[in-house]
Amino acid sequence: MRYYELIYIVSSNVERKKNDQAMKEIGEKIQETGSKIINHIVWGKKKLAYPIKNNTYGTYILAHYQGGDNDKLREFDSWLKLSDLTIRHMIVKLDEKPDIVESLEGDKSENDTAEKGEDKSPDEESLKKEKNKDEENKEAE
Amino acid sequence: MAFQTRRKYCFFKENNITAVDYKDVKLLKRFTNDNGKIMPRRVTGTSAKMHRKVVSAIKRARTIGLMPFVDSGSE
Repeated sequence: MRYYELIYIVSSNVERKKNDQAMKEIGEKIQETGSKIINHIVWGKKKLAYPIKNNTYGTYILAHYQGGDNDKLREFDSWLKLSDLTIRHMIVKLDEKPDIVESLEGDKSENDTAEKGEDKSPDEESLKKEKNKDEENKEAE
Repeated sequence: MAFQTRRKYCFFKENNITAVDYKDVKLLKRFTNDNGKIMPRRVTGTSAKMHRKVVSAIKRARTIGLMPFVDSGSE
C-alpha cells in the first residue's frame, strides 16, 4: 500500500469558515478517490518564505492518506491545482505508514520563527553560548 | 594564535537521525547559507547518503514556501 502526504496552503486572508470549508471539500475529494484519510489537521498560520499569489502569510494544512485508485488520484492532483481553495499544494509519497497525529503544536512552535517560536529561542541561545564557552575553554587549553 | 582546524562531522550520524523531513525547517536551515543556498558537502561534512536526503528535503520545503529560493535579506 502506498501512503501519501498532502500539504496545502490556504490564504490567511479568508475567514476561518472558508478554511474549514476547504478542508471539508478536499477531504471529500480524497475519499472520492477511494483513499483512506489517516490525518487531516491544521498545522498553523505561517509566514511564507516568499510571496505566493500576493500572499505573505498562509495557513498550512496537512493530510495523510492511504492511496486508492491511481487514476483518480492523478485527477485529484490536477483538480487541486485548478481549484481556488488553495494557493499552493504538494503531494509527497511516504516511505512508511504515518502515525496518527493529534496536533502539530510541537512542530509549530519550532518552525514559527515570527511570534510563537520566541519561547524556545532564548533557551537555545543560552545553550549556544554555553557551547561557545566550552569551545573557548578548549582553545585556551 | 595557532590555527585550529575544526573537526568535520556528519550531523546526522552524530545525532542518530536517519530520516529528513521537509517540514523541519529549523534543521534544514543548518545546511543553507545566508542567501538560502544549499551548502556543499565539503563545507558541512555531511555524509553523501544524508546529503542527498537533505537536498531533496530543502527543495521540497522551497516548493511549498517554507524556505526561500533566494533570501536577499531585504524581506
